Amino acid sequence: MKERTNIGWLFVAPALLVLGLVGIIPLITVINYSLFEIFLLDARFWVGTEWYEDIIKSQRFWASFARSTLFSTLILIVQIPLGIAIALCIPRRKFWVGIVLAVVALPLLVPWNMIPFLWLSLLDPETGILGRALQILGWTPDWKQSVIKTWAVIIVMDVWHWTSLVVILCYSALTTVPLSSYQAARIDCAGPWQVFRHIQLPKLYNVLLMVILLRFMDSLMIYTEAFPINAGGPNGATMFLAVDLGEDIKAFNYGPSAARSVLYFLIVLCVAWMFTKAQAKLDDERSP
Amino acid sequence: MTFTRCLPTLKTTSLVTFVLFISLPLIQMTMISFVATLPNPDIEVGKLTLRNYSAIWTDPSLRAAFGNSLAYVMINICITVPVALPAAYAFARISFVGDKHLFLAFIALRVTPPVVLTLPIFQLFSELGVVNSVFGIALAHCLFNLPISIWILQGFIAAIPKEMDETAFLDGYSRRQVIWKFLLPLIMPGVAVAAFFCFMFSWVEVVFARILTSTNGKPISMAINALFGFQTDIGLVMAFTIASMIPGAILLFVMRNHLSRGFKIGKV
Repeated sequence: MKERTNIGWLFVAPALLVLGLVGIIPLITVINYSLFEIFLLDARFWVGTEWYEDIIKSQRFWASFARSTLFSTLILIVQIPLGIAIALCIPRRKFWVGIVLAVVALPLLVPWNMIPFLWLSLLDPETGILGRALQILGWTPDWKQSVIKTWAVIIVMDVWHWTSLVVILCYSALTTVPLSSYQAARIDCAGPWQVFRHIQLPKLYNVLLMVILLRFMDSLMIYTEAFPINAGGPNGATMFLAVDLGEDIKAFNYGPSAARSVLYFLIVLCVAWMFTKAQAKLDDERSP
Repeated sequence: MTFTRCLPTLKTTSLVTFVLFISLPLIQMTMISFVATLPNPDIEVGKLTLRNYSAIWTDPSLRAAFGNSLAYVMINICITVPVALPAAYAFARISFVGDKHLFLAFIALRVTPPVVLTLPIFQLFSELGVVNSVFGIALAHCLFNLPISIWILQGFIAAIPKEMDETAFLDGYSRRQVIWKFLLPLIMPGVAVAAFFCFMFSWVEVVFARILTSTNGKPISMAINALFGFQTDIGLVMAFTIASMIPGAILLFVMRNHLSRGFKIGKV
């Protein structure tokens, strides 16, 4: 049992102060702006919930929302199993572990605005390694015209960029499995699947929950990487939620962009709430 | 049981394939970085050269970008870790009114996309006078680094048996002494991992870095943006990107055993 005392608030106070400054105050400002028509920041008119109604009623918002949700779902379907599988494949020899982890984590160190250019140059039909290799397989240089190919490029790019995070976190959770559990499994003649299902997977639950939340939200709000690949095209087929918002902000539509921001934050809050619910359920099952 | 016998081979093959997949864009980048990509009186386009790398040394704005990036990441870590430690302790050891809700709020802030907050953060930081300085970026990046650090550190603290604290309390040590003398040395690997994650998420971030540095204090990512123009020297861009990855790669190599030793990441 944890100690029960409200002195805990004293310990979280510094964090609350910092996050209040960079998170909560800006959020309140955004909520305030979202209710006004703003020409200049000093000249504004109250419009109530007009911006919200505009967004909720617009086809564009729901289309972007559907695209982003589909994208995030696909990302989770690929990255989570792949990340777990690779984490399971990492050898137990200490020397190799360090090397493999260091190499695998390299994509996380590339500046985000370089990632799309890296992939575009890789896919270049004349100079790119992958671009030339794929031409033999019938990949044409006009892939930007095709919705499916553009999606495939963005998904592969995101898998390249972020699977490493899943691998690192899963691997570190796997190392907490005590050696005696593996020995016990060997005595019971458990197969690799049973070892995974009953020994390794339970150790992964908490980490997986966090990884799923991080990957789901970060890909739902993908911004820097997705746009330069094909400028949201073809025909807006890769316009995601955050790209829409970015365009609004660039056009200095303060009011509508603020309303959009608030809606996005509500989505974030819903997902984070579901995450804590899932976590609470997990804890209940473990300690009845 | 052929499957079980094949498993080690299968594992190695998939790992090698994955590592190849990871290295492919990096190989491409390295190749381009050693090639002259713009017409130049000294050298033909397409010839092997080290010019791109020497250009990084001679260009003052690129060197300044390196300094700025290092500075704001360091400042960010110096803010994040001391602020995250007590909060992580509280979440791991103390049950207080509203702790679950507060954790939810922190996590929600971590996953809030920076684009949502760009405008008010710019205004707020202008008022505070920290735009166009490394300090502003360092502060803005706390939005996602602080919750992640709290989460990582509280896992490390929760992994240390509570009995240790209790014994120390019985011996007459105060809470502050227990944290300083006993807990902190034990969770040093956790502090290192948290600092590494701060570095990783902060070093490559673009959105806040862009809005907070229009005239001055440009970090590496913005210096890369500035290189793109009417005639982009792709070779230089790639060389600069590789150079920008070196500090992280060194850190990764130093940290590899901490990362592989594993950390218990738990519930709140």
